[in-house]
Amino acid sequence: MTKVLLSIHVLAAILAIGPVTVAASMFPRYAAQAFAAPADLAIRSVVQTLHRICRVYSVLGIFVPAFGLMTAISLGVLTDTWLIVSIILTAVAAVLLVASLLPAQRAILASLDDDVADPSDGMPATISRLRMVTGLFSLLWAIVTILMIARPGSTTGA
Amino acid sequence: MPRPETALRIASIAEIVTLAILLTNLFTIHARPISSSMGMIHGCTYLLVICCVLLIERTPIRIKALAWIPIVGGILAVRALARARDDAA
Repeated sequence: MTKVLLSIHVLAAILAIGPVTVAASMFPRYAAQAFAAPADLAIRSVVQTLHRICRVYSVLGIFVPAFGLMTAISLGVLTDTWLIVSIILTAVAAVLLVASLLPAQRAILASLDDDVADPSDGMPATISRLRMVTGLFSLLWAIVTILMIARPGSTTGA
Repeated sequence: MPRPETALRIASIAEIVTLAILLTNLFTIHARPISSSMGMIHGCTYLLVICCVLLIERTPIRIKALAWIPIVGGILAVRALARARDDAA
């Protein structure tokens, strides 16, 4: 049972968190291009698609902590320090995603749709802030992944 | 990938069916493999219902809240969405 739960947990992490990380890191670059060329509808639809990938796969990402918790319970490691640290970092990443990253993407898309928006109205500042948040988000996932593999202080094997 | 509305309908039925299997098992043979596998699947359908409702665009917050109700949340959300569509039409 533990093997099934762990497999689904890892599969969900690869399939859900992976696309969000990649699409979120591509978003600021294409958003900046879309602001530089407001008439280019092709780039705008790329930005919209990247946002959609982030939104949809963030929701599906709920399955990662759900199966992670079930795996931890069935292994009896829920109170291990490395796991609690991972849970806290995951929670921080999730809050960052829902409360900062996705709303910033939505705001950028909305102001792209406003035809009156001119490139000098401060949107590049939002984009560079989004770049920072996105980088932080990816960094958190990298740390959590390493914690999941290294499991410092764990006694359940290499 | 199916549309979230279709997935919601399937998940909301599965949420109830898996619970029915769980309860039947509990009061009859109480086989452990059925409990553990169906328990997991029932939990999944619960999460899936919430996912689907969050993925349907421009859903009122009231319907989003309905999906979080255990067991009947999916069915209630399907009905509420249908009613919202009828009102809009």
